[in-house]
Amino acid sequence: MDSTSRRSSAAEPAGECSDEELMVAFSRGSQDAFDELFLRYKQPLFGFFRRRVADEAQAEELTQESFLAVIRASSRYQPSALFRTYLYAIGLKILSAHRRKAAFRACFTGLPDAYREPAALGNLETEYVLRQAVGILDQLEREILLLREFEQLSYAEIGELLHLPVNTVRSRLFRARLALHNLLAAPAPTSSAEQARIEERA
Amino acid sequence: MKTTSEHPVAPEEIMAFFDGELSAADAQAVAAHLDGCSACASLVSQFRGLSQSLTRWSVAPVSQKLENAVNDFAAKASAKSKTRKPSEPFRRIGGVAIDFSIWNWKLWAFGGMSAVAGVLVGIIFLLISYEHRPAQQNMAMMMSQNRGEETAGYAPPEPLKDRMNNSLSAPYAMATQAPSSGGAPMMNAGVGGSIGSDAESAPIIARTASLTIIVKDLTAARTLLDAMLAKHQGYSAQLTVRSAVSAPRSLTASLRIPASDLSNAISDLKTLGRVERESQSAEDVSQQHTDLAERIKTARATEERFRSILQQRTGKITDVLEVEESIARVRGEIESMEAEQKGLEHRVDFATIDLQLREEYKEEIAFTFADFSMSFHNAFVAGYRNVAETVTGIFLFLVEYGLSITIGLAILFSPTFFIWRRYRKARSRI
Repeated sequence: MDSTSRRSSAAEPAGECSDEELMVAFSRGSQDAFDELFLRYKQPLFGFFRRRVADEAQAEELTQESFLAVIRASSRYQPSALFRTYLYAIGLKILSAHRRKAAFRACFTGLPDAYREPAALGNLETEYVLRQAVGILDQLEREILLLREFEQLSYAEIGELLHLPVNTVRSRLFRARLALHNLLAAPAPTSSAEQARIEERA
Repeated sequence: MKTTSEHPVAPEEIMAFFDGELSAADAQAVAAHLDGCSACASLVSQFRGLSQSLTRWSVAPVSQKLENAVNDFAAKASAKSKTRKPSEPFRRIGGVAIDFSIWNWKLWAFGGMSAVAGVLVGIIFLLISYEHRPAQQNMAMMMSQNRGEETAGYAPPEPLKDRMNNSLSAPYAMATQAPSSGGAPMMNAGVGGSIGSDAESAPIIARTASLTIIVKDLTAARTLLDAMLAKHQGYSAQLTVRSAVSAPRSLTASLRIPASDLSNAISDLKTLGRVERESQSAEDVSQQHTDLAERIKTARATEERFRSILQQRTGKITDVLEVEESIARVRGEIESMEAEQKGLEHRVDFATIDLQLREEYKEEIAFTFADFSMSFHNAFVAGYRNVAETVTGIFLFLVEYGLSITIGLAILFSPTFFIWRRYRKARSRI
């Protein structure tokens, strides 16, 4: 898992600026503040897109687009929510627009090769298996699962991003995890009796 | 998810416990249950195993190209945010115009055109505020210099000078200053003053003014108006008084005042009440006057030649009659042009004031049940008629175009459905 768990000011080491403080400083013209923010979030945001888009170059382009959107909107930034939530909200919007456009193009030109050829998905077999398994999940459940497992967002943050109540997030996440577990046939060393009890319990 | 006597904690709560999303008390209860329940502990192990499996889905590091592109853009944006601040008044006007336009789009009743105009005005002001701030300062300096040059020649009184610089055109500004200057424009020749050759180079100005005044008592104001007209040797070219029920009394008049006395007359009129609207304008009629004078001169010369022909030549009766007809025609043209010239000079000598006096009016309640019942009846009938017309219109439209629309939809259905299916399929895979 990537080091995506970048918490807000409460979790920051003493003496280090929070994401929100850095963003406010950048909105006032501090280039150093943006450099620090970019350093913190370039990899998590790239990971966010890379796990959702098959084409690596496209994922990079969307990452760049998201940061440019943050830069352009910096003068209007209000630190009313966590910067992390703000950033992923921008990412989700850009991703949604990309999917819409790509799907429309695919109506006439067919799916790009990256979506058809397993070789293009990655060198590791496990990565391919994971991507395929996650891809089978319901779209909303998949999004909740990815936001929780990779972006390490809390239930409340996921609910805010996807405009869902926290209870819905919790129940859909539970279903997604069970479904993915079944798909992957998790390697946890459980006996058949224990597995039967777990399924009965769920 | 279910809870039982054996498992008092729901599986979702166990998952929330695993994710650290429970309160301290709930977490303690779940932890206590997990200590004694192997099935629930296995569920936690399952979640942990799943998370560990997912950690194998790694992502390559971000490329240097992306870092460079974003950093370059950020540096430019940061530099711009330090140097390019919008000038406040233009930014505000632009912002308000755009806000109004966005609001206006929501109220289609106010019309889309005004919204488009608002957006354009807003964008223009924002562009000006961002791009031409130094130019604005230069322009302001240039304008102040130009104003200095314009006013240096005849030095009007201070309050008048301000008004002239701000709102009046150059001919009007010159005309108002004529009494104190050597080259007098023709409008200042006074009542009956002729437009002579000594003033050929001076502009000939026809002045008009418009005033709307709210008065307390229209009758008293009318008396004062008559006295003022006598004082300034003016007259009323047209006057209308309206006195409708449930409406304020009003007087509309077109006054003709000697041009040289226009300022005094306007000042006197303003004493009648509260000025609601005032405007003044000046029209340069020099070209028109010169043209007329030249045409009259030519026509007179023509008339003179005809007369000399008539006196010196002899011939047939028909020829003599023809020459006399020509003289009569030219004479008529000359008189017509002279009348036009006099009218023009009159416009110059006498300025026009379009005056509107409105009496202060306090609305009174004049409501009777009979009025309401009649209005209600009329509204009901009108509403019934509208509904009937709407329903009939829809029916007739369907009769006229329904078949064509159905055929068109049927033709479009197959390709649309095909594209829609492909789109949904692609969306599920992208």
